[in-house]
Amino acid sequence: MKRGVFLFTVFFLLLTGSALALRIVVLYPAASPILRALGIPDREVVGVTRHDRVYPGAIKVGSHLRPNLELIRALAPDLLIVGSRRAFPEETARKFSARIFRYDPRTLQEILTNIKALGEILGRRQAAEALVEKLSAILSRIKPLPRPVTVIYEVSATPLKVAGARSIVNDLIRVAGGRNLVTVPRKHVLISPEKVLALAPEVYIYQVGPMNRHPIPPKKRPYFRGLRSRILRVEELEFARPGLNAFSAALKLNHMFLSCVR
Amino acid sequence: MGSSLAPPPKPGNRRELLALGGLLCLVSLVFVLAVSHGAVPLKIFHLDETGRRILFEVRLPRVLLAGLTGAALALAGLYFQYVMQNPLADAFTTGASASSALGAVLALLVAGEILVLPAALAGALLGLAAVFHIASLRGRLLPVTMLLAGIVVNTFASAAISLLKFLADESVASIVFWLMGGFQNATYARVGLLAGAVFASALYGLLRAPALDLTAFDDETALSSGVPLYRLRRELLFTGALLTAVSVAFSGIIGFVGLIVPHLLRLIGFLRAGVLVPFVVLFGAAFMMLADLLARTLLPQGQELPVGVLTSTLGGLFFLYLLLKRKRELYELA
Repeated sequence: MKRGVFLFTVFFLLLTGSALALRIVVLYPAASPILRALGIPDREVVGVTRHDRVYPGAIKVGSHLRPNLELIRALAPDLLIVGSRRAFPEETARKFSARIFRYDPRTLQEILTNIKALGEILGRRQAAEALVEKLSAILSRIKPLPRPVTVIYEVSATPLKVAGARSIVNDLIRVAGGRNLVTVPRKHVLISPEKVLALAPEVYIYQVGPMNRHPIPPKKRPYFRGLRSRILRVEELEFARPGLNAFSAALKLNHMFLSCVR
Repeated sequence: MGSSLAPPPKPGNRRELLALGGLLCLVSLVFVLAVSHGAVPLKIFHLDETGRRILFEVRLPRVLLAGLTGAALALAGLYFQYVMQNPLADAFTTGASASSALGAVLALLVAGEILVLPAALAGALLGLAAVFHIASLRGRLLPVTMLLAGIVVNTFASAAISLLKFLADESVASIVFWLMGGFQNATYARVGLLAGAVFASALYGLLRAPALDLTAFDDETALSSGVPLYRLRRELLFTGALLTAVSVAFSGIIGFVGLIVPHLLRLIGFLRAGVLVPFVVLFGAAFMMLADLLARTLLPQGQELPVGVLTSTLGGLFFLYLLLKRKRELYELA
């Protein structure tokens, strides 16, 4: 009888997945809030990058560009959530027996697709679908604009770098009803201030954060005295990270664009 | 510097006058090219409001700053070579560039662009003080020790910059691009300040030209000829460091100019300090304006290249060509 109860319990736990608690290492900080939203408990996330505060109990395993491979190996992860191939090359990935999940979305739609894929892998399909629905609902609140607002988004002031066509910001602007005037197929573009003046965007957005610390406001810079655009200051961590934040950022941007059009 | 052993040329040398005229033409030509070409095509004689702003608020100060930075770095390289009595000396080998950059990077991370100039100056002066202290012996400056001390300061400052880049993590790209050099943040105020520094430094060099020529001999000969050798070296070191610091603060690290410009002119056969100083200023200015023009126009859609990459590539290739072509006449067999 006791043996039967034990086998039943084991079978039940296997079925529900709680006996299969994963050991997850997250090397792309924007993915951690997604895991939290999917209901992944603290004990399953065993390693994170050093600026990741979502799972405070997890071991810090370096930065997303320079992770400590020894520490990661010592954590014996089942799943590694990593960024682009540049940040975590295939050659490095092959050194681990753990499953590798690449989280490198460049559009809001790709973020939703990634959430669904993570939900599948983590056995949280329903939570993932609910999250996708919630995020899609935010997007549905975006109001259409009579015409696209022309935009340039500054990534850093010194030197002057702006978001290109391969940046998540490019899609965020598009979804919010704007049009990024910089169409170079790169993530970040080192651009001439002359070009910015000639493109004459309606809105010039500059971010403030780790990549653009203490920037001088654009119109106070000597080369932008002739810039006639409306200037918007945004937080880098809110607008330029391909995570959950991107959806509310798109909505906020849409409201800003609406006020510009009016 | 074995090349300085050549006989002193006669005053009013026609060849030098012709070369001066040629260099002035070259600078003017490159200036016109640099002002008339850029990321945005401009009709210089039919400018609209945007065009006028682009020309006078962006392009013109940038071209002027590029020219002056080229002149400043080339002049600093020349002075460092006189101090160290070594053809390999320039702002890099003396540690002035890296220590100045260390100050600027610290300022960028902690306080932003506003403090870059004072921090770069402070960095350069600290680096210079370290080199000075290490290389001083009973009031004398030892050239070889100074070169070694410069390399140590350079290595230390470069390591400190690497550490800052590591700690700054996400600001790395910004720092790296800044270190590669560029003239995007040109203003007339900066142009004025650098013009003053270059003019004063060049004037100093011209006034000291006979003494500079005598430093090419050994210390005893120079001293017995009445040259205040040790004071001269201190002054040259300070002037070179000042020029480097202001250039680094305004434009990041731009390599190779201080090394190749004086050498190219020596290879062509200009050896007297009275000739080298103005020639180095003019040629350095033309070289840097040309490099910046290429950095601004090589890529499509207003994209830019870091100018430091171009100066090193262009300068390196040209220098290599000269080395291969004229290696027999170079220092060893001159």
